[in-house]
Amino acid sequence: MTAMTTKSTIMESSPITTPEYRSPIDASKYKMIAENVTVSYGGIDAVKNVTMKFKEKSVTALIGPSGCGKTTFLRCLNRMHDMTKNAKVTGKVMIDDIDLYSKEIDPIYHRRKVGMVFQKPNPFPTMSIYDNVTAGLRLNGVRDKKILDEIVEDSLKMAYLWDEVKNDLKKSAIELSGGQQQRLCIARALAIQPEVLLMDEPASALDPIATQKIEETIIELKNDYTIIIVTHNMQQAIRVSDYTGFMYLGDLIEFSETKKLFTDPKDELTAKYVQGHFG
Amino acid sequence: MTRLIDPSLHKLSFIMSEMGDMVIESISLAIDSYLTGTNTKDQVLKLSDAIRAKYFDVEDLTFDMLLKYQPVADDFRLIRSSTEISYAFSRFGRYAYDITLVRDLFGDVSECTNASLVESTKKVKHMIKAAVLSFAELDVRKAVEIREDEKFIDKIYRERLPKLIESTNTRCALAEALLLRYLERIGDHAVFMSDAINYVVTGKHRPSEERIASHTKTEN
Amino acid sequence: MNSIQDRRQEYRSLFKQNVAKRLLVDKAVRIIVFSCVIIAIIPLGSILVEVFKNGLTAISIEFLTETPGSAGSGEGGIGPAIQGTLIIIGLSSMIGVPIGVMSGIFLSEYGDNILARFVRFFNDVFMEFPSIILGIFAFLIIVLVLGHFSVWAGAFALSLIMFPIVARTTEESLKMVPMTYREAGTALGLKKWVITFRIVISAAKSGMVTGILLSVSRIGGETAPLIMTILGSSQFFSSMDTPMDALPLRIWRLSLLPYDSAQLQGWGAALVLIMIILGINLGIRYYFMNKKNGFFGQLIKQRRNAIK
Repeated sequence: MTAMTTKSTIMESSPITTPEYRSPIDASKYKMIAENVTVSYGGIDAVKNVTMKFKEKSVTALIGPSGCGKTTFLRCLNRMHDMTKNAKVTGKVMIDDIDLYSKEIDPIYHRRKVGMVFQKPNPFPTMSIYDNVTAGLRLNGVRDKKILDEIVEDSLKMAYLWDEVKNDLKKSAIELSGGQQQRLCIARALAIQPEVLLMDEPASALDPIATQKIEETIIELKNDYTIIIVTHNMQQAIRVSDYTGFMYLGDLIEFSETKKLFTDPKDELTAKYVQGHFG
Repeated sequence: MTRLIDPSLHKLSFIMSEMGDMVIESISLAIDSYLTGTNTKDQVLKLSDAIRAKYFDVEDLTFDMLLKYQPVADDFRLIRSSTEISYAFSRFGRYAYDITLVRDLFGDVSECTNASLVESTKKVKHMIKAAVLSFAELDVRKAVEIREDEKFIDKIYRERLPKLIESTNTRCALAEALLLRYLERIGDHAVFMSDAINYVVTGKHRPSEERIASHTKTEN
Repeated sequence: MNSIQDRRQEYRSLFKQNVAKRLLVDKAVRIIVFSCVIIAIIPLGSILVEVFKNGLTAISIEFLTETPGSAGSGEGGIGPAIQGTLIIIGLSSMIGVPIGVMSGIFLSEYGDNILARFVRFFNDVFMEFPSIILGIFAFLIIVLVLGHFSVWAGAFALSLIMFPIVARTTEESLKMVPMTYREAGTALGLKKWVITFRIVISAAKSGMVTGILLSVSRIGGETAPLIMTILGSSQFFSSMDTPMDALPLRIWRLSLLPYDSAQLQGWGAALVLIMIILGINLGIRYYFMNKKNGFFGQLIKQRRNAIK
């Protein structure tokens, strides 16, 4: 399979994906562990002491009513809150036993292990499709055109966009439809060879067909990546995720296998929420 | 807050309660007709057909709800179990009719009645009432009673069959054999029903399945 | 049920019914607004018309390339002034634009602190400074210190006028770029300066260019600072340490002379100045609008595709 051999060539030759950067695969291990994470904005706790473990190569969905803190929590996992003023984050976020929030490590280097896709598709408006996908690479010093071409093809294939755009990679990114733009953003996030993919309501701004394609993409990506997806669409959580966490007002109320949480939730609040009694 | 799914859930529970009442009536009629010799075949047939029709209604309604509302948690388990339970109801109606057919075929067999048969039929009537009530109230404690009754019916079934093989009165023996067989089947379905009710309330699947499978194979 | 319907009817009847009259009012307002625009444009238009009318006859190759003749002779041209204007605009931009852009970037991207608030405040005050004061300042700092009028002083003074405008418009354009692009860059593991220079600036390019053009137009016509710094001359540019001519200065000098020929040359010079400023504006706008990678160009392309 060309996609797989491309990835291994990239792993060997690209400066940002040297062997010690890619950790060995252990399917039973937890890829990412968030421990006692608390986020407060100006004194008010948006996320209260949440602990979650994410298994390698699984999809975890975070559900809950608006304002429950799920997006805030998601953004802790790649230190996006560094950009927000007044945000205070305490706790640990471990990827492969390295705490992202420890003082010794360089957050930018380790942030590359975690890719993020946002709610509203945001391809860089002044760049072409090709340039968008390679943005994370070029702007980090990867220059070899052959490798960039390989990565572009690999990433776009994984995002199910290659066939639609392969003939015109120089086209401007904002000329694509909404669904295509979102898949482009997925390809862009994948191009930096992350190990974990964070998705913040990736299909909420898209029409049903585009949503379906995104979900298909997620299910395919599950084979290679650990994915954490915030969604307000419970059926989507049921369709794509292996594990689900329900958050309410900053607390993690329940976390279990998706099927169990949706057929037999342990907590009363969870049962009420998933059945539509509030939210 | 009334959810979109609530009116359909109410309709479902209404149909199910109607079915429950009809089941109790048909089984009682059938058993009494066997024991006393009255012919209630047509009445019971009507009931059985009505129950069957309602079973199809329930099937349509549950699939409709699954399609439209994609229910989860309690709603989901209730709807899923309703399929199983309404099927059990339709079997009860069918077996009731079968019992009246025995009476019809064999004529008046009221003299064949013996003590263990009377005990079994009493247990069956009790069991059916408990099953219907248990579903209506989603009360899993009645499941224990149902399981006890089913065990008893099974015991009688296994005790009597060998004796019937030895019996000289062919007519009585055959009639009783058929009746015991129907009662045993009613018992099994009642237990499946209690399992389904258990699933609605606790989320646990098929607790009795293995037990039933095991004791139909071995001597207990 | 009936009472609800009745109430709704009642509510409906409350809406103002005098539609015809209100359409008239609508039309009247439109006419008033339109006339205000016309009234505002008329003086501007008439200026352009006057300048063209009076100055067109003065234009000739000789006029555009030769040094001024003796006062009142009607001979010679404004060659040095044209050259001087272009040089002084270019030099001032080379100083003012980078400083202004950097300040704008600082204020927008790194500007969430007290220092930035200070800078912003002073920037706004500075923008309103009378240009003659800036000219005097340049005079004091450079001309007096060096002992002579020079191009350096002129470029310095004009850059002082330029840089607050550029800083302000750069800051505003950068702020208009949605936060989500910066977030996307952060999520890709890019450093902040990379995000700012390679992503945010290219999205804000069109607004920034507008700001720069605004400031160029502004300094193209400034006279007072030039009086105090480059003084003016009748010769072509010789060195950075000597006085130099510029169109505003030449126009001023020519307009003060009592000769008709001088007046005519003054109109001609004014026309040339306006054409230069207009040319710079249109030229750069056209270039950026059609450039494939510009944000603005993309929007136009998108609209074209949507119409197709």
